[in-house]
Amino acid sequence: MPLSTVWFHFSFLDFQYAFLSILLEGLPFLLGGAILSGLLEEFLPQSLMTRFLPKNPRTAIIVSGLLGVIFPVCECGIVPVVRRLLKKGLPVSCGITYMLAAPIVNPLVILSTLAAFRGQGAWEMTILRFGLGLTVAILAGWIVSYIAPYSILRPGLLAPENDHEHNHSGSCGMFDRFQNAASVATRDFLDVAVYFVIGAAAASLFSTAVNQEIILPLAANPPLAIVSLMGLASILSLCSTTDAFIAATLTTFPMAAKLAFLVFGPMLDFKLIFLYGAAFSKRFILSLALGLFVVIGLLCWRLSSLNLAW
Amino acid sequence: MKNSSFLQGLRDSLMLLLWGVFVLWLSFGGQLSKYLHPSLQPYTTAAGVIFLLLAFFGFRSLFTRQVAHDHYHQHHECCGNHHDHDEEAHGHSVKQGREHQHHGTVDGIGAMLFKTILLLLPLAIIVSGKATAYSITTIQNRGVVDNINKLPSAKAGAAVAASAASSAKSTASATPSAVTVATNDATTSASQSSSSVDSSAPAASGGPIPLQVIDMLYAVQMPSYRGEFEGKEVELIGQYIPMTTGNPKGDRFQAIRMFITCCAADAKPVGVSVQYPKPLKVSEMGWVKITGKPTFPMEGGRRTAVLEATKVEECPAPSEPFVY
Repeated sequence: MPLSTVWFHFSFLDFQYAFLSILLEGLPFLLGGAILSGLLEEFLPQSLMTRFLPKNPRTAIIVSGLLGVIFPVCECGIVPVVRRLLKKGLPVSCGITYMLAAPIVNPLVILSTLAAFRGQGAWEMTILRFGLGLTVAILAGWIVSYIAPYSILRPGLLAPENDHEHNHSGSCGMFDRFQNAASVATRDFLDVAVYFVIGAAAASLFSTAVNQEIILPLAANPPLAIVSLMGLASILSLCSTTDAFIAATLTTFPMAAKLAFLVFGPMLDFKLIFLYGAAFSKRFILSLALGLFVVIGLLCWRLSSLNLAW
Repeated sequence: MKNSSFLQGLRDSLMLLLWGVFVLWLSFGGQLSKYLHPSLQPYTTAAGVIFLLLAFFGFRSLFTRQVAHDHYHQHHECCGNHHDHDEEAHGHSVKQGREHQHHGTVDGIGAMLFKTILLLLPLAIIVSGKATAYSITTIQNRGVVDNINKLPSAKAGAAVAASAASSAKSTASATPSAVTVATNDATTSASQSSSSVDSSAPAASGGPIPLQVIDMLYAVQMPSYRGEFEGKEVELIGQYIPMTTGNPKGDRFQAIRMFITCCAADAKPVGVSVQYPKPLKVSEMGWVKITGKPTFPMEGGRRTAVLEATKVEECPAPSEPFVY
């Protein structure tokens, strides 16, 4: 197929088809996150979480970043979980660190990156993806720890259940408790699903209507290659467990650009921009998007200039 | 406010019921394969069941009035005085116009209507039944892949294919059907490709070898695999797209299949050139069954796959339209 000169060509049916595909793929994971959120609300005492989190705020942020290794949630399911954890009293800085890191540091993503880049510096790419993802998430958490939570969170997010710790010891039947968890899961799912629908629509529009071959000439220029693949990662809105398989096929692009694709995509693709709206203020999401874009872009550019043997 | 809380609870339960029914309808109607990789379909089916379970819990709590309407009061009744509820801290004061509903505030009528429409939108698209495949627009926007190395997992698969094809070559008899089985096994293990084309195509002894687009792309890279069917009569099913460039004699078109990693949203068109001198009346993206002989000439300084067709006929879409 020749390189088309038209960069935007829209088909409504194609848009609908991609939209349904993203929804049907993401729904189980979003639902999983909502159910986890319901179970956390009903069965996780607030005191338990604060007891296990280190008292030192910086250490707590690092621990939150690593939490994704033992408590893996993909990027679709992470928002309801983080919303619930914030409501249960998790510091916002820790919540954001966990939210940004979990889709990258989770074991399934590590294994898929290793498999996808076999023969293309798999270990280097996997270690760098893990390291860079964790570093950027911790950095974001540290910065957020200096900002007042009310300017970060969506108005009213904490209000209904702040200090609302339930003590369910004793007289509640298990069925009732599961029913409570189901009610929380339902509300959380539908709250977040609205944003997911909008995000899926945005991702579908760009993934079907934008000519993806227009970025190919940018591959030879490292800074432009990095920027273009971060843009592509946003447009495609891939699941972090499989995005490495797509990145590995972008053979004309330098490895640093692929790394940027793999770190930026799970943190901030189009559907996530809207999903984050279920928990955070618009102003914060915009700042986060800009910050992640600049920091990940610069770090990857720096890595590309090191001429690593990959 | 009590009524709006009830209304929202009812809306939530109905929404989940509808989502559950539609997801299970797609799943048990065999429609999910048009959207998702087989490995993801069970998760979506499970989600459909869970939607129904949540809807059941939602209706139960609405009509028994035990849980969902007011978690706060429910806990007082159920668990005794374990909670330290500060109305102001919770933002539940009547003055603020908020109602304490189970784990969240009640949407206003406008917000509820907007969210309801938004959540019903995907179901309306499902009901329309039109969004089940891509048009030529997306194919052009994504570009057709004609190099196996540009497909996900291709490198890992190529090694397996090479060894499998090589072992098949040493063990299989020379009959076309035996070669077919061996080569198909090799390719399936290599690319995890699957299609109902192979099972529906005639594999009887003496008939054409059923082949996939992806087989020909692998063969371009692997001479040992190429030898299994080069110059032999094969049959291939794909979607027709005209070739506007690289076709000076005007006797070529492309046969494509969509290769997916997760879902149709990440689908990449993969294709081979088909040489057929006779005029064709096939619509763009229409399914065609091609009979011919694979060749692997050097064109433009690189080896390519060209299927020299002797017969091209329209056919129905296979039940599994993707290759994986």
